[in-house]
Amino acid sequence: MGHCILTVDDSSTMRQMITFTLKGAGYDVLEAADGVEGLDLAQGKKLSLIITDVNMPRMDGITLVQRLRALPEFKFTPILVLTTESDTSMKQKGKEAGATGWIVKPFSPEKLLEVVNKVL
Amino acid sequence: MSRWFRGAPAAGPEPILEPPPPPPAPDGLLRKNLLQVAAHEAAMLEGRVNFLTPELMQVDSLVREAAGTLQEALKTLDRSVQHQHSLASEVQSTIRTSLEGSSESEGFDAMSATIMGTLDGFVDHMLEISQSTVQLAEQVDDIRERSSRMENMLAELTEIAGRTHLLSLNASIEAAHARRFGAGFAVVAGEVSKLADRSTALSSIIQEQVLGTRVALDRTDAQVQAIASKDMNVAVRSKGESEALVQSLQTTNWLVKDLVGQLEDNARTISSQVGHVVRCLQFEDLVHQTLMACLMDLGNLLDQAQAWKAFETRLREGEPEAEALAALDGTLSGIEEARVQFRAVKSGSLSAGDVDLF
Repeated sequence: MGHCILTVDDSSTMRQMITFTLKGAGYDVLEAADGVEGLDLAQGKKLSLIITDVNMPRMDGITLVQRLRALPEFKFTPILVLTTESDTSMKQKGKEAGATGWIVKPFSPEKLLEVVNKVL
Repeated sequence: MSRWFRGAPAAGPEPILEPPPPPPAPDGLLRKNLLQVAAHEAAMLEGRVNFLTPELMQVDSLVREAAGTLQEALKTLDRSVQHQHSLASEVQSTIRTSLEGSSESEGFDAMSATIMGTLDGFVDHMLEISQSTVQLAEQVDDIRERSSRMENMLAELTEIAGRTHLLSLNASIEAAHARRFGAGFAVVAGEVSKLADRSTALSSIIQEQVLGTRVALDRTDAQVQAIASKDMNVAVRSKGESEALVQSLQTTNWLVKDLVGQLEDNARTISSQVGHVVRCLQFEDLVHQTLMACLMDLGNLLDQAQAWKAFETRLREGEPEAEALAALDGTLSGIEEARVQFRAVKSGSLSAGDVDLF
């Protein structure tokens, strides 16, 4: 069975670029436009990885990571933060929330796939 | 004037030029001047915000539309590359089967060997026929010679029959001279004459047969000469041409294989470039976030306009200038502090960002 990855970003361009990259490598991809939608979509699904943005309406990425980590089924699921934020303090917040890694936008497809393969 | 206007902001719209300080004014005139300044500042800030907001929204819309178009083009390009890759693989597979075959008995090499073997057999066969034809021509000559000898012998036989006939005639005459003593001899002479006639008749028949054989031999000889006259070089040349053709086909196949390889390389290059496009297309998100930060900054300017209006109201309501100015300064300072937190996009280029695994 193939890996299913959830990508959460309020930018449709980013969602499409992430999906394009991951689907090209053979992964199944689900898309959500913000933290609330991402959390709803994640529940009840068997996800291998979650990639989330930070600055989003309704629920930001850091909160999403915290909420997901509170759910037993996502306690050990890799969660990557993909954001324009590069401040150390923000990274620290992400790490404390339970994120597995931090990728600063823009991402290169090769590098993203390398990281995805590493955390899966 | 507030410190808000002393330095340029970290980013966002250009700083508003500080208006010239109002000249010293008597009591009452200062308040009037402050009211004018406040109204002017509020109007100027609102005017700028009202001008820049739709401009920025338009930029955002244009960028989004451009990015959308580029995304569709990218998807189409990717599908085309995938299709090209699929076709190249198919051609490569077909050529591989054609050149190498799925078993030892298949493939272009096996086919070439079969063709060349068949051609070799054909040429050898043609050479054997040629040699047989030469032998056949020699045998025809031999038969013709023998036939000629037979004709000579038949001529002698005819001559012998003639002489025998003549002898029997002389014998009959001698028998007639001998009268009754020659009666028996006359009978023998008559029989000899009959034998001579039969011999002459048989010789004629044999001569006819020999003539017929000679005619048949001449025809056979003509046929054999026609076959022998066929140039065996034609077969050898055909074999050479066929060999060249097979070699040419093989060369073409290898050439096509090489071209398909180049197509594959090209597809790989395009795929690599697609990766760059994917990275660069993310400019839409970065621009959008930057524009949103600018719009928030414009919101900040509106807050400043509101602060100036509040200052104006305070003055109109009779609040002392110093207190109103202190309140304005506090409000503007608060707005400025909040302002520096807007900027989400720090990167000034589209180089891939850092990766940090915890």
